[in-house]
Amino acid sequence: MKRYLPHLLLSCRLALGAIFVYAGLLKALDVTSFAGSIANYQLLPELLNYLAAATLPYIEMLAGSLLLIRRHVRGAALLLGGLTGVFMIALASVLIRGLDIDCGCFGVAAPTSAVTALWRNAGLLLLAAGAFVDGGRRSA
Amino acid sequence: MSDESPKLSLVRPLVDAALMVVVGSLIGLAVNGRLLWEVLERHALSRNDEPVAEELATRLPLPIGLEELRGLLPANALLIDARHRESYRRGHLPGARNLPWGDAGKLLPALRDEIPPQTTLVVYCSGYGCEDSFLLAQRLLQDGYRDVRVFEGGLPAWQAAGLPLEGVRP
Repeated sequence: MKRYLPHLLLSCRLALGAIFVYAGLLKALDVTSFAGSIANYQLLPELLNYLAAATLPYIEMLAGSLLLIRRHVRGAALLLGGLTGVFMIALASVLIRGLDIDCGCFGVAAPTSAVTALWRNAGLLLLAAGAFVDGGRRSA
Repeated sequence: MSDESPKLSLVRPLVDAALMVVVGSLIGLAVNGRLLWEVLERHALSRNDEPVAEELATRLPLPIGLEELRGLLPANALLIDARHRESYRRGHLPGARNLPWGDAGKLLPALRDEIPPQTTLVVYCSGYGCEDSFLLAQRLLQDGYRDVRVFEGGLPAWQAAGLPLEGVRP
């Protein structure tokens, strides 16, 4: 088991990085649709929907890229894990309020229900934990 | 000895993460500056121009993307094309009804007679650069329609997704 652990942690880091670069890119290419997706959550006022839609994709892409090139790994893993946590809270609130909306996680082209997205985000949290440990393993 | 302490410390990662948020946000703001400016201006417009600003601020038309639009269409939402008659004749979204912003005053009474106020309306024009859909949507809200949305990507976004137009003339 010990032998495989480094590879496992490395895979977590690369997978998490790739997923967020991809997700960020999809959303950065269609900011207005993403703002619409955020508006569907009915959590933020209109202006903040746009502000979040304009900035979030770039934060995701930046942190994702840093994971891929192994720079500031623990910071990036912490940030993406934290973001995933925030997304999960938002998704849970959707379920509690009984809203039937698309999660908007990977842009609007890949509609996903809130329940599926919650499970997927739980997986992302695991990846973030793995990536965080990976970042502490070596003196990076 | 100093090997363990940085591993346990959360300070470095937290600072790094905060910096990533700042840098990422700045990039996002720089790239989307124009869009955000337009949204801000629009907000200011709806605040200053209307005597009942308080009421209207909560009744701004909701912007929707392509996927939401496609979800709404089977639910009997009515598409409204806010562009000029000529542009409409050269091709429009399937099932869309033409209501040029310039002729709104003239054409709205007929719409009110025909379309009940609880109908979901989706207004579009020629994409992000064009304001007519938003202005018309606001007008429709004032006129008593309760659910008015703006498909801001408009005709270009529809075409870019490879979706068919109706009434295309060469």
